[in-house]
Amino acid sequence: MRQVSANLQIENVPSSVFAMRINWFALVFIAPALLLVLMVSLYPVVDALTLSVFDTRFAQRLDFIGTENYVELIRDPSIYQDIVNSFTYTFFSLAVVLPYGLGVALLLNRDLPIRGLYRTLAIMPWVFSQTITALLWAWLINSDFGPVTHAVQFVTGTRPAVLSSPSGAMGALIGVNVWASYPMATLLFLAALQTIPRELFEAAEVDGAGAVRRFFYITLPLIRHTALVVIIQLTLLYFNMVTLIYIFTGGGPIGETETLALRVLKISFEDWELGRGAALGVFITLVNLFFSLVYVRALRNPTDE
Amino acid sequence: MNKGPRQRFSSALAVLAISVVCIIAIIPVLWGLVTSLKPTEQILTFPPQWIPWPISLDSFEKVLYQSNVLLYFRNSVIVTVASLVVSLSLAIHAAYGLSRFKFWGHSAILIGVLTTSMIPGVAILVPLYGLSVKTGLYDTFLGLILVYSAWNVPILIWLMKGFFDKVPIELEEAALVDGASRWRVFYQIVLPLSQPGLVSGAIMVVMFVWNDFVIGFALTISEERRPLSVGLYTYISNYGVEWGQLMAATVIALTPVLLVFLLLQRRLVEGLAAGAIKG
Repeated sequence: MRQVSANLQIENVPSSVFAMRINWFALVFIAPALLLVLMVSLYPVVDALTLSVFDTRFAQRLDFIGTENYVELIRDPSIYQDIVNSFTYTFFSLAVVLPYGLGVALLLNRDLPIRGLYRTLAIMPWVFSQTITALLWAWLINSDFGPVTHAVQFVTGTRPAVLSSPSGAMGALIGVNVWASYPMATLLFLAALQTIPRELFEAAEVDGAGAVRRFFYITLPLIRHTALVVIIQLTLLYFNMVTLIYIFTGGGPIGETETLALRVLKISFEDWELGRGAALGVFITLVNLFFSLVYVRALRNPTDE
Repeated sequence: MNKGPRQRFSSALAVLAISVVCIIAIIPVLWGLVTSLKPTEQILTFPPQWIPWPISLDSFEKVLYQSNVLLYFRNSVIVTVASLVVSLSLAIHAAYGLSRFKFWGHSAILIGVLTTSMIPGVAILVPLYGLSVKTGLYDTFLGLILVYSAWNVPILIWLMKGFFDKVPIELEEAALVDGASRWRVFYQIVLPLSQPGLVSGAIMVVMFVWNDFVIGFALTISEERRPLSVGLYTYISNYGVEWGQLMAATVIALTPVLLVFLLLQRRLVEGLAAGAIKG
């Protein structure tokens, strides 16, 4: 009985012998999951670091070559194009998704008839995989038979071949990415909006504040924290995204939509330069680490006073 | 609040705007479905035809009987179900252990586990490929299942720990005093009380595994092991782009997630909002 309550205690366990004794029961519960995560998530990180300083042939490790994989990456001018593409893709996707996602959330937060149906339809793209999204859109904007192509031709008189022009391909890719990812922003914003008490708006209205002022002085300050979460999560999502790009444009035309993350996939599983792929993977992990640190800091001190 | 003409106008505008949003959201899916139901000669027309008439199941028949899509579908089902079982059983026990016991390294484990979920998938794809070749798990279901499970366990642990923390400890103490074993307390009291969390977590895993492309792409090579998402992609190269068939295959692939979404929307939102984005 005494031991029972000692084990069940979740708050401060007295720093006695009891606390230091190995609790076999807890160990049996926790160890298997921990082991799997260590093997499949942590070991590969270590392995990537070592692999990145070796010359490789397929899965075989040949000679230790130090930083040569990294040097080769830096010397390759197309890497800089990839970096630019990664940032263009991430930045412009965010620039469209944030206002669009928030706008949809604001609409869904109103007392509209059949709000449930609107909500279901509006967030539906969220559940489709990047593979499916890419295939559906590739067919929708197909330059020979796609309805979007037809609509554009109807309006402008020329038939666009979006995916074969560099800026067109990047634009279309960002558009598709927006379609696929705004629902996440919408849902998080919607959850935040629903916590704002209605009286706040009513009081402001009585005081003569118009809709625009109410938005900028009440809504926006109160959802700042959520906006931060959305921005950081989406930044990571976009920066690391491979599937959508790989299937939708394959990085083309002539590397114009190839991002760093996609390059890892191509170096590794098309050129089979695993050492160099690992090196680039390490770089991407570092960028992620940087974003994550910003994330943790930003969430720890929410700057509102 | 009484509605003046201004309010009514703004409401009408809102309805119009949200309708446009919804139409944009469903048009790609609708167009895919329409295409999959057309006879071949109607697919390649310009201007495009919106109503498939006569409705034809040719594309679906070809996909189901003359391609490997059913095989890929089976593979995905096996891997998804197995990953669900493995990751949930590992995560619930770990979460309970971490919720009920405090020990040296407790918070280090919690934070460490969460950190691994921030490692970008694409960055460790190469080592995972090497690891799977070395251990003989390349191109096996088990290899896929282990990776999927490991990638979902961290978020699941955090999700479930949140639910277990809320189960009153007095309930467990009472049962233990009455002579129930620790295991029984966990399985018969704590778990049933945390059912909403279990459902959310389960949906989250199912969506992740079913929708993933990169792991299947990197860790499988044979038709017998290829998951549906990768199969859809290879469909293009193997058969040339037969859009009717490709859209039929796409419709087949998106139906399960769409059903889960429509039936369990609320739980899905809760689960996915808990965090997992990887890949």
